[in-house]
This record gives sequence, C-alpha cells and structure tokens, in this order.
Amino acid sequence: MRKIVNILIASVGGQGGLTLSWVIARASVLDGFSVKTAETLGMSQRYGSVMSYVRLGDSVKSPLFEPGEADYILGLELVETLRRIHYASGSCVVIVADEYRPSYTQSIKYPALKTSDLVEKIKSLWGRTLIISARKLAERAGSVRALNMVILGVFNAVSNLLSRESIERAIREVLPEHAVSASLRAYELGFEYAQQAR
Amino acid sequence: MGNEAIARGLIEADARVVVGYPGTPSSEVIMALQPVSRQLGIYAEWAVNERVALEIALGASIAGVRSIATMKAPGLNVASDPLLSSAYCGIDRGLVVLVADDPGPHTTQTEQDSRWYAKLAKLPMISPSNPQEAKDFTKVAFDISEELGIPVILRTTTRVNHTVSDVVLGEVRRIQQDVKIVKNEVRFVRAGMAWNLERHKWLNSRLRLAEEVSTKYSLNSSSGRGEICVLTEGVAHEYVSEVLEELRLEDRVKVIKLGLLYPAPRKFLLENLAECKTILVVEELDPFLEEQVKAILHEENVHVRVYGKLTGHLPLEGELNKNQVRNAIECIIRGLTPPLTTRSEHTLSPQDTPPRPPPLCPGCPHRFSFIALKIALSIRGYKLSEVPVFGDIGCYALAVYPPISMLWTEHSMGASISMAIGAKIAGYTKPVIAVIGDSTFYHAGIQPLIEAINKNIDILVLILDNDVVAMTGHQSTPAWSLSESGRPLRPVSIESIVKSISPDFLATIDPYNLDEMISIISEIVDRPGVKVIIAKHPCALLERRARKVEKKFYVDASVCRGCKACITATGCPAIVMEGNLARIILEDCNGCGLCTRFCPYRAIKLLQGDST
Repeated sequence: MRKIVNILIASVGGQGGLTLSWVIARASVLDGFSVKTAETLGMSQRYGSVMSYVRLGDSVKSPLFEPGEADYILGLELVETLRRIHYASGSCVVIVADEYRPSYTQSIKYPALKTSDLVEKIKSLWGRTLIISARKLAERAGSVRALNMVILGVFNAVSNLLSRESIERAIREVLPEHAVSASLRAYELGFEYAQQAR
Repeated sequence: MGNEAIARGLIEADARVVVGYPGTPSSEVIMALQPVSRQLGIYAEWAVNERVALEIALGASIAGVRSIATMKAPGLNVASDPLLSSAYCGIDRGLVVLVADDPGPHTTQTEQDSRWYAKLAKLPMISPSNPQEAKDFTKVAFDISEELGIPVILRTTTRVNHTVSDVVLGEVRRIQQDVKIVKNEVRFVRAGMAWNLERHKWLNSRLRLAEEVSTKYSLNSSSGRGEICVLTEGVAHEYVSEVLEELRLEDRVKVIKLGLLYPAPRKFLLENLAECKTILVVEELDPFLEEQVKAILHEENVHVRVYGKLTGHLPLEGELNKNQVRNAIECIIRGLTPPLTTRSEHTLSPQDTPPRPPPLCPGCPHRFSFIALKIALSIRGYKLSEVPVFGDIGCYALAVYPPISMLWTEHSMGASISMAIGAKIAGYTKPVIAVIGDSTFYHAGIQPLIEAINKNIDILVLILDNDVVAMTGHQSTPAWSLSESGRPLRPVSIESIVKSISPDFLATIDPYNLDEMISIISEIVDRPGVKVIIAKHPCALLERRARKVEKKFYVDASVCRGCKACITATGCPAIVMEGNLARIILEDCNGCGLCTRFCPYRAIKLLQGDST
C-alpha cells in the first residue's frame, strides 16, 4: 500500500487552522504530492471547534481519515488538541501551541482549567508531544495571528516533508498580502525553534 | 478547493451567466469567480434568492448563453418551482443547476438528499467524486444539457465542495453564443395549457436519451473484477477505493462508480453487473441508487442480492466514513449480518473535553439586539418563557445558545415572521416576536411581512441589519452599491421597502445604542399591529476588516472580583476566566464596550494608547 501522511489540525475558529491546512496543501502540490483536505467546522470564523484534515502522498483518494490514523496532530489550542488526541496513530507526533482558549460556556459553567494542567494532561496521554510557546514566537514575528505559521515551521522541521521554497510560495499565495511577512517570519522562527530543540 | 474547481470548470466551459444565493457549502463557486469575472466577460453575481437565481439563469439560457445557478440543498427547495417548469420548456444554451448537499449535516438544517429532485423534475443529474471531477463534470454538464436540450443538475456534497486538492486544468474553450430569443408559446407558456401534456412526453423522450448521450463523457466507470460488486458514487467512491486497497481486495471486488446518477445508466449497469452475484451499494444520504438498481434488476429479471442502507449494512443518517464502509464490505465478504462491531484501532479513547459551541462574535450587533429585547421584556414584566421569539436563518440563530438563549425557532428562510403570524392567529395572547436578518429579509421575509400587515397581526418584527450575508462568508446584499465583482449596483433599502407597506410602527435604531433600543422595544412590544424595528449596525467582523478596531477594553485585575457578570450577561468569546479573574483577549476584542455595562465593580476599562 502506498504511504499517505495524515495530518490533523485542531483549532478554535478564527485561529487560522483552515488557513494552515490550505498552506500545507498548496505546498504539497508544489512539491509534487497528491493532496486532499477536509474540515469539520460549522462556523469557522466564530470561535467554534474546528478540525481540519490534510492528507498527502502518492495518490490520495479519501479526504477524511479515522481516529487512530493521524501521523501528525497540529494543535493551535490545548483543549482542541485534547479533544482530537484519539486521532493519533501509534507513531504520531503531536505539536501543540501552549495556547489556552476557554470557551465562553466553560467560563460560565466549568471550573477554570489551568494551562499547565492541560499541558501535563496532553503530555501524559501522548509521549511524543512537543509543546511550543507559539504565541511568543508569533509576537516576535510581528503578529499573534501568525501562531499557525509557527506551528507550521515546527511541523516542517520535525517532518521534513515539504521544501522551504514551496512553503514560502504557498504562504504568499494563500495568505492576504498584509499577513505574508509576519507569516514567513513566524514560519522561520518555528522552524529554527524546533531545530534548536533537537 | 472543489468549489474553485467548479469555478474553473465554468471558465473552461465558457459559461457567461453565473448566479446563486450564498449557502454553505456552495458559496465559493461564485466567490472564486467574482475577482476575475468582469475581465472574463462573465456575469457572476448573487441574486436575492435561489428561485430568482434559477429563473435568471433560465432566462439567460433561452436568450442564448450558457448559464448556471448555484445553491445549497434547501436553496433548491426554494428554486424547485422554476426547476420543474424549466424541464418542460427546455433550454437553448446549456443550463446547469448546482446543488450542494451536506451529509452530516455540518451546516444545513436537514440532511436533504437532493438527488430526489432529479427524479422529481425528470432532469439528468451528474455528481463528481472529487475536485478534479468537479471541474471536469461542470464542463460535461453544459455539453449534456445542450445535447439533450434540458437543464442538467450538478450535484455535489461538502466533501467535494470544500476539499482542497491537486487539480489538472483543462483548456479554456470559447464558444460562439449568439444572444437571441425565439418566440415559442408551446415551449414557454405553461399553466393549464393544452400542450403541456405534449411537453411532458417530449421531456420523457429527452430523458430517455440521457444515458446514450452521456456515454461519450465517461461519467461512469468500473474497476477490478469479481462476483462481489460495490456500486458507488460521489465521495463514497473515494472511501471504497481506499478501503479495498487497505484490505487488499482490489482484485476480488469489482467497483462500479456512477457519475450519471439519474437516470441510472441501465445499459452500463447491466453490462457491468453481469458477473456479479452480490451487490453492495455505498452512497451517502438516502438509498437512492440502491432503489434504482433494484428496480432495474427486477425489471430485467436478474436475481442478485442487493445490500446497502435498506439492509442495515450502512446507516440511513449521517455522513459516511471509511470505518463504516470497511465494516459493510467485510460483512459482505465474510457473509456476516450487520452491524459489525467497529474494531478499535486507536490506542487512545476520546477524552472528555468541555464543549465549544460557536457564539456570536465579539462586538456582534446582534448581541446588543437580543440583550435589549431580553431587558425590555423584563421591564414590561414578561417572563422570557412566555414570549416566543421566532428566529430565522443567519448568524443570529447563535442566540439560541446560553447565556443569551433568546431564540425559540430557526426553521427555513423567512419562516420567523410567518410562524409568528401563525402563533397569533392561533390565539396566543402574549407578545410574539419575529427576528430576521437583512439578507434573509430580502430573500424571503418581505412576503410574510406583507401578510402580517394585510391581516392586522399583532407582532413585533426585529430586522437585524448588519449590511452583509455574514454567516456564509460576507457576501453582498441588495443594499450594496458595488458588487464583489466590481459591478455598480443600485442599493435597495430595507427601510423604504418596509415603509412602503405601512406597518403600524417603524423605527431604525443602531443597537449599539442599547438604552434607546430597550426603551423603544418596551414601549411598543404589546401595542396592537405590526411593529417593525430595523436594528442597523454593520457586522463586527466586516467593520473590523474595513477599518482598524478603534478601541479596546481590558479587565483591571486589581478591581475584578471574578463574579463572571461580564460573561454571563454577554457570552462574549473575547472574555475568558483565568484562574478566578476575567481577562479580555485583546486581539479578539472589537471594542463594543457592552461588557462594561454589566460589571458591578467597573473593572472593565478602556485601554489607553496604541491598540491594534
């Protein structure tokens, strides 16, 4: 069977999870992969729970994959990552921003969770987890909204799947012009961070 | 994205008129075309609703240009009247109706299977499995439409519309399209005419040619061989292919994939099913192919067992996934009876996590309107449980969630006002409220308002006018002066429409003026007659994009006591509890300041200095 790489992106609507999936997809096409994406969103701009799927390989047919099949989980938020952690395959690497966005319903009803508790919970569930201070790196890159591109940088340093040129071009083609420079910088910072961490 | 691929297919097919009404997952077809449409000589614009869109496309087609109407599944219900009639009059240049179904359903009110419309309207329907086919089939749809002389329905599902994938582009054709209309009453005059029977016979004769005409376009295909056969269509085919590959059954199971869903290609099916002893039909939503193939086999006296949704091998509800397809195939291979318990292949079980329902955005003007309504009703001594608020389709339906919890119904486009009328006619004595958005009002709210006024109904109608079709990604409304494609428009104002039908009360208020909104609602809510309030303030996201957020608020941690009043009153997602204190996520704050009104300790303060 031909190998397909399954990437799951867990985010809160508005964080750029879909944009991240489109950048990966476009870079994959530029690098000659067959690719498919899908998403479950409802209303992606609106602070809901968003899950995107990206699959790349020689010949990808289904846009979806099942729990237990993700090779990478890219989390832009801790609770959303925890919500999707069962998608991890045995060899999955979980890359997650140390970003906690309590939902407003949670703020009303539930006892407040702590960022550190969420981090520990994910780490205890999954050994191969990288927790990234993505907000700090994105701020350094010039925009907190580029947090998704920090995670992309870490992902590509870890996976070595996509060429730097293709990612750069994909960022230029997918993101609005005003967001490109911070996004490129955020990608670089994420990439460097992961290399140094090794 | 599949929708962009369809847009590209429209360019390659030289379609000249592209009209639709926004609806997930269909909207991006027109959105993708609009930036380039005028340059390419394509009319790509939003219409006021789906039936108008389809009638525009039909008019353009009989005037000699290739046209398409795009919509989500419930949109085809709205457009079903012209759809059925268009089959009788036929077309002159290709006419395609794109309908995007939503198994799941992810963003649609029902899991409508629009394939039945093909059977109902007696029109050919073709359906792609992936973005590449979405582009290719779009072109084919026009060709088949012209060869048969009738409209063709191009039917997609979310996993095709919204899937991003590599697509190989084709040639852009330029087709001679002469604009002319030939007077022909027999074709174009319908109601009660003696010739309608002849037109029905004509339609049936055209439909009978569908398989033959479509053969050269290779819409249907088969692969593998074996006595077990999987009959499939749409994205389900992609699941079937991968499952067979994973189970290493490619050589033991024959796969028949249909692109022409209606009429089911009888000759193709009989040829390809000749060796089969068992058939499993894998399709999303209703057992549409399953019933068709059973009928064909019965008529041809072929005895083959057909499995699928009707035998319990696959579910009748919800979106399909690979696990369900794998189970169904394994049941057939191993001769087992469904349901087969799903093997747990994953090492982790799903974790218990707090839910995250989508809220109204920070700064959303609808939040102001609903809070004003809530307060005004309380001022007048009404219990919230005794004043029904009939809602409509749009972002404001998110007011159903706590803490706002002010929406009682969300039914179909325009139903807020009509259902409120019904409640009053039934004899409900307490006030009855209808809440409808601006685009929904243009789409289907005007007629029910006429009804309310004409019948002297005592209702309060709130028209929440945020100047945009917000829910589906910020498309234009008839109030705009320039369309997304750059076409100059003549704005049609809601206020002048409402004024012209003379309700008993009409006011336009900016809901950001919360006190004014509260006082007007409380003043008029139980007055007799039709009261209309237009709550006019642009969508917060639109405003944010148009200009920078001018101010932002923060929680002074030294003053906050963690009472959560700001959150429980507003449900604003930019406010979070951290530890025991509230915090405003600065980059999400849109500066509306609503939360400041509810803090008993005045802990929420205006941020001084630079705010981006």
